[in-house]
Amino acid sequence: MTAGRTSHAAKVLAGRLVLLFGVGGLWELAARTGVFPAAFIGQPSIFLPGLARMFIDGSIYGPILDTLSATALAFCIGGVLALASALLLTAVPILREIVQPFLDALNALPRVALVPLFIVWFGLGMTSKVISGVSLMYFILLFNTLAGARSVDPDHRGLARSLGLGSSQIFRQIVIPTAIPAIFAGLKLGLVYTLLGVVTAELIAGGKGLGSLVSYYSNTYDANGVFAVLVVLVAVSFALSTLMEKIEGRLMRWKQP
Amino acid sequence: MSVAAPGQEGIRIEAVSHRYGDVAILDGIRIESRPGQFIALIGPSGCGKTTLLDIMCGIRKHQSGNVLVGGRPPVEGRADTARMFARDALLPWRTASANIDFALKARRRPGNHDAITAQLLEDVGLTGFADNYPSQLSQGMRQRVALARTFSLESDFLFLDEPFGALDAQTKLVLQEKLLSLWERTRSTVVLVTHDLGEAIALADRVVVMTARPGRILADVPIDLPRPRSVSALQKTRAYHDLYAQLWDSLEQATASARLHPGGNA
Repeated sequence: MTAGRTSHAAKVLAGRLVLLFGVGGLWELAARTGVFPAAFIGQPSIFLPGLARMFIDGSIYGPILDTLSATALAFCIGGVLALASALLLTAVPILREIVQPFLDALNALPRVALVPLFIVWFGLGMTSKVISGVSLMYFILLFNTLAGARSVDPDHRGLARSLGLGSSQIFRQIVIPTAIPAIFAGLKLGLVYTLLGVVTAELIAGGKGLGSLVSYYSNTYDANGVFAVLVVLVAVSFALSTLMEKIEGRLMRWKQP
Repeated sequence: MSVAAPGQEGIRIEAVSHRYGDVAILDGIRIESRPGQFIALIGPSGCGKTTLLDIMCGIRKHQSGNVLVGGRPPVEGRADTARMFARDALLPWRTASANIDFALKARRRPGNHDAITAQLLEDVGLTGFADNYPSQLSQGMRQRVALARTFSLESDFLFLDEPFGALDAQTKLVLQEKLLSLWERTRSTVVLVTHDLGEAIALADRVVVMTARPGRILADVPIDLPRPRSVSALQKTRAYHDLYAQLWDSLEQATASARLHPGGNA
C-alpha cells in the first residue's frame, strides 16, 4: 500500500520533471535555432541566470517588497470592508435587496479597466495600486461571504429556534460559522486577484514594483528580463495561495473527514 | 386527568383543524395525553402529521381548535420542550461533545456540562468519540449524538420528527433501543412522528393512526406491551404481531382514503 503510493508519487514527480525540462528544452531549442527569435520569446539559459543575478545583487527585493506591501495593504483593506459590508447586508435584508443590483453591476464591470482612472484620481504612487487591488478583493470576498451566509441549513436554524435562541445568537452561532468556508474561499481567490490588481496598476503607472519592472523590460525589448520577473510573480502568487491554504487547513479541521 | 396539578399536565389537542390555502390539512384532531405518555403518530405521506407536530412545537399556529402542552399554549423554543429532526441537524463545525454543549448552553442548563455530555455520549455508546467532528462519524453515530443532544435538555416534552427515517434497519434497531433506555429514565411526554408501524408499536404507549389529507384520526390504539421493552425481543412476541396486524388494517384504510382523495404529496 505504502510502496504503491510511493511509486505513484514518484511517477507523478518524474512526469512533472519531464514536462518542465521538456518544455524548457524545446523553448531553449526554439530560441537557439531561431525558429522563434530569442528577442521575442527570451531564452531560459539567459533569463534564469539573470534571475539568479537579480537575487544575488539584491535588485529584485525592492520591487518584490513594493508589490507585496501594496498587495497586503489592499488585501487587508478590501477584506475588512467586504466583511463589514457583508455583515451589514446580512443583518439588514432590506438593505441588501436595495443594493443587490448595483453590486451585481459593479461586479460585472471589469475593474482593471478602471485602473487608468484610479491613476488619474490618486496619482502614480502606492494609493492607485492599493485601490486597484481593493477594487478586486472587495467584490470577490463580499460575494462569497454573502453567498455563504445564505447557505444556512434550515435544520440548523430550526434547531437553534427550538432551543430558544434569538436572532442575534443565531447569527453569531449559526450564520457566521456556516459562512466561514465560503469566506476562506473568497480570501484565497481574493489574494491572487489583489496581486493581479496591484500588478496591473504597476504595469500602467510604472514606478517601483514587479509590474513596473515587467513594463520597463518590455518597453526596452528585453524579453529575458520580462520572463525573469514573470517567474518571480508566479512564485509570489504561488507562495501567497499556499500560505492561505495552510491557514485554512488549520482553521477548518472539521471539514476534513 | 382534566384537573391536573401545574407541571403535571400532558398534551391536550382539541378540535384542531388547519389548512394551507384551499387545502385542508388537519380536520378535527383530538388527542389528550397524560404526562409521561409516549405517543406515536402514523399515517400516509401528506396526512399532516408533521404539521400537527409543528403545531405542538409552536412553529406553526393552528387556525382553529385548542392546543395545550403542559397546560400552556405552545411557543417555539419553550424551555420544557425539545425537538429532534429527521436528519441529525448537528453543527458540522462542532465536535460531538460541543454539539451537545451547544444545546446545554442555549438552554442555560446548570451543572457540569462536561460531565453531562460525557455521560450522555456513554449512554448512546459513543464513548471515545467526544472529540470527533460529525464528518468523521457515520450517519447512525451522528443520529446518536442528536439523540444525546435531545435528551441532554431533560425536557418534559419531546417532539421527534421521524428521527430514524433515514437509517438502515440494523442501525435503526440500535437507535430505538437507545431511545427507549434514555426515555425510561426521564419519562418525558413524547410525540413521535413515524412512517414505520413496527417502530410505533415497539416504542409507544399509544399509536394514533391518521387518514390521508385532510388528516383525521382513524384509530387510537393503546399498546399494552410491558415495559421496559426490548425492541428486538418484541419482534418475537405474539402480542406485538397481533397489534401489528390490527394496526396494519387501519393503515391500509388510511392509505385507501389517500387513493380516494388524491392530492397528497406522496
